[in-house]
Amino acid sequence: MKKLTIVFRRAPHGTPHGREALDLALLSASFEQDVSLIFVDEGVLHLMPEQQPETAGAKDYIATFGALELYDIETVLACQSSLARFGLANSELTISVERVTSNNITEQLQAADEVLVF
Amino acid sequence: MILHHIQTSPNQDNALSCAVHYAGETDSFLLSGNGVYALLEDKWQQALQDRRLFLLKSDVQARGLTKRLVEYACIDHNEFVQQALIHKKVITW
Amino acid sequence: MSKFIIQVNGPAYSSSASYNAYQFSKSALESGHEIIRVFFYQDGVFNTSGLNSPASDEFDLTRSWIELSAQYRLELVNCVSAALRRGIISETEAKENQVSHWNMQAPFTMGGLGELVTGLESADRLVSF
Repeated sequence: MKKLTIVFRRAPHGTPHGREALDLALLSASFEQDVSLIFVDEGVLHLMPEQQPETAGAKDYIATFGALELYDIETVLACQSSLARFGLANSELTISVERVTSNNITEQLQAADEVLVF
Repeated sequence: MILHHIQTSPNQDNALSCAVHYAGETDSFLLSGNGVYALLEDKWQQALQDRRLFLLKSDVQARGLTKRLVEYACIDHNEFVQQALIHKKVITW
Repeated sequence: MSKFIIQVNGPAYSSSASYNAYQFSKSALESGHEIIRVFFYQDGVFNTSGLNSPASDEFDLTRSWIELSAQYRLELVNCVSAALRRGIISETEAKENQVSHWNMQAPFTMGGLGELVTGLESADRLVSF
């Protein structure tokens, strides 16, 4: 079992990065890996409530984030300063995340066995 | 000790900005592809000046930057393989 | 000697990532290291289209992967779902989906994300491009 950290750094829907990152996260967890997720930069826009991807012809993978607990993905971090930058500092988010500092994220990256950025 | 690998220009993508923001103090950086263009700008020269930094030689040469970036450590693919093993992991942003 | 897994996310033609993935893989193999497999994910699956037809005086990346695979028995695996939604399809999927053409064949193979994860688990290093 390896500690895999998957970083979401791009906005959802405009590109398939976020969707394919989530696919990998769930699959890795189902293969018994210790998976953690980090949302940084425009990646925090995945956490914006009330998204309706189908209206733009995209798959609603945002809803699938609700399954993280089922897959035992417990460490889900979001960068506080990135959230603040996009006006999400005090907002309710789509899923429950731990709002952390940049230093916390640096530590998480150091502690992982491998990091995959999307 | 992480090797942060950036393949895109900072004007094209936020990869370098994210890597610099979240890197630890002892981490290194490898710029490849259009990533090497970052070092033509003061802003990124300064952001990376205290960092251990490598450039992928073939990408520097391809872009006509060999003389301009002469002060930086340029490595070939064999040395990239070695650095990937010397560092604890490679994060490609 | 060490074991690598290589993940290729960049397309064959429109970014430098795939070329560097190829050169890195070649250097690692020439230095005696093992590459468990090269896993093509996201736009990386475009590396595996047999219909890629660069001009004769240009570097042929798909051909180069095939030659590297022949020389070192290198496994070249596509993520099947990433491939299918980008129009990269093997004979098997073409038949399943009642499509009359296909563009991906050996030595490239279709696999699941599980092959990336099991590769990651046994490798000393992941290097993504």
